[in-house]
Amino acid sequence: MKKKVLAAALSLALCFSMVACGSDSGKNEDNQDTTVEQADSAEASEETSSDESDLQYVQDKGTLIVGITDFEPMDYQDENGNWIGFDADMATAFAKSLGVDVEFVEIDWDNKVLELDAKSIDCVWNGMTLTDEVTSSMACSNAYCNNAQVAIVKKDVADQYQTVESLKDLSFAVEAGSAGEAEVNALGYNCTPVKAQADALMEVAAGTSDAAVIDSLMAAAMVGEGTGYEDLTYTASFNSEEYGVGFRKGSDLAEKLNTFFADSYKDGSMKTTAEKYGVQAALVEQ
Amino acid sequence: MSTIMEQMPIVFQALNVGFVQTLKLFFVTLLGAFPLGLVIAFGSMSGFRPLRYLTRIFVWIIRGTPLMIQLLIIYYFPGLVLGKTIWGGGEDGRFLAAAVSFIVNYACYFSEIYRGGIQSVPKGQQEAGLVLGMTKSQIFFKVTLLQMIKRIVPPISNEIITLVKDTSLARIIALQEIIWAGQAFLKGSQGISGQIWPLFFTAVYYLVFSGILTLLLGWLERKLDYFK
Repeated sequence: MKKKVLAAALSLALCFSMVACGSDSGKNEDNQDTTVEQADSAEASEETSSDESDLQYVQDKGTLIVGITDFEPMDYQDENGNWIGFDADMATAFAKSLGVDVEFVEIDWDNKVLELDAKSIDCVWNGMTLTDEVTSSMACSNAYCNNAQVAIVKKDVADQYQTVESLKDLSFAVEAGSAGEAEVNALGYNCTPVKAQADALMEVAAGTSDAAVIDSLMAAAMVGEGTGYEDLTYTASFNSEEYGVGFRKGSDLAEKLNTFFADSYKDGSMKTTAEKYGVQAALVEQ
Repeated sequence: MSTIMEQMPIVFQALNVGFVQTLKLFFVTLLGAFPLGLVIAFGSMSGFRPLRYLTRIFVWIIRGTPLMIQLLIIYYFPGLVLGKTIWGGGEDGRFLAAAVSFIVNYACYFSEIYRGGIQSVPKGQQEAGLVLGMTKSQIFFKVTLLQMIKRIVPPISNEIITLVKDTSLARIIALQEIIWAGQAFLKGSQGISGQIWPLFFTAVYYLVFSGILTLLLGWLERKLDYFK
């Protein structure tokens, strides 16, 4: 008897799991309008979401939630715990121009697109390199800052590794999903993806990888004299690239920000902010 | 470059703030999961079959999937589907979503431990209670409950100690608990960058806290040792 009950329970469980899968795939088909009725309802829901523009949504809400990571000199905290930095100050000014408050939220960088789509943040403004992946999954602003991917090696061997070519036999640590990973993979060099750029630096410091590839702005702030990694240095640069701000796909805020960038570049306030954080040399003309 | 001695005040301050989040999540989870676990335990022992099967399937799903995935689904799924997040993007919303995930997850584990505890109380005692004219709830609260509590202390202790460390999973939805706080100094935070020791040092917090819990739970076990 007990066995029968168990068998029944198990088969029921199996049925449930299949039903669950079935209804999921059914929903996907809805969006590809399998029947007229379903197509109608799908369209209706699309309309309601596109009815309200992203700008409208943010203004109604009254806050612009900016997704960031702790990243000097773009977004970091002062002694009082307030977020400052070139990106943070520009984001604050942009929110002000929209007539809304700004709120900074630290996110897991891997989840940035998910955070945007789930509306837990409204933009990603954190020295984000405009790669193909980024521009295809978000509505991006114009580039506002130049950057490059540079190789990090131990200081005592730096002389031998001044060119990209000379690095080819080394093992690399790179941030998963970063522009640096793309560069190293494109060259076919041996690399290990790690969780963050900082982890990549630690790999080199600990000797578990020979070299790392990270942003030059970050490298300038984090390795060499006076930093936590005095025995590391940066050598060859792989490419040049640009930073942009990411919004939800299809958002009208990206266009709004472009106008804001152009205005603040013209009146010099962007440059003043950049000088405050030492990134004026990297600024892109708007 | 500042020495570790100079970094200590800043680092400990940040780790303490993170650890408060860890503790908050820990206690909120226990507060929610203890009663919810009992409800689920009753559901899975219910005489009403559909309820029993539904509860057991629920427990199967929750215990059968990683807590990390549950956190991601609970936090992001509503926003993705409804077009408006029910949690809010700020830290409070993240904490709330993490608390809900942890409570549901731990309640399912607790429910099975409760079930074991309840079913290990000899059936003769329930029958005796019925003969004496007690109601079912009287029998549970006056006869079964204390014996159940005594029996489940060791397995629940195990789960509690596991929970201390599982709270670190909440960093996947960017809840800034102690590991997040420690990791921040790797990349650079408050003028300290490229430091691995704060991250490693978080282990001491966990160790001390679980040490205290072990002592407390051991004491509770001894206190309940006056009957068999």
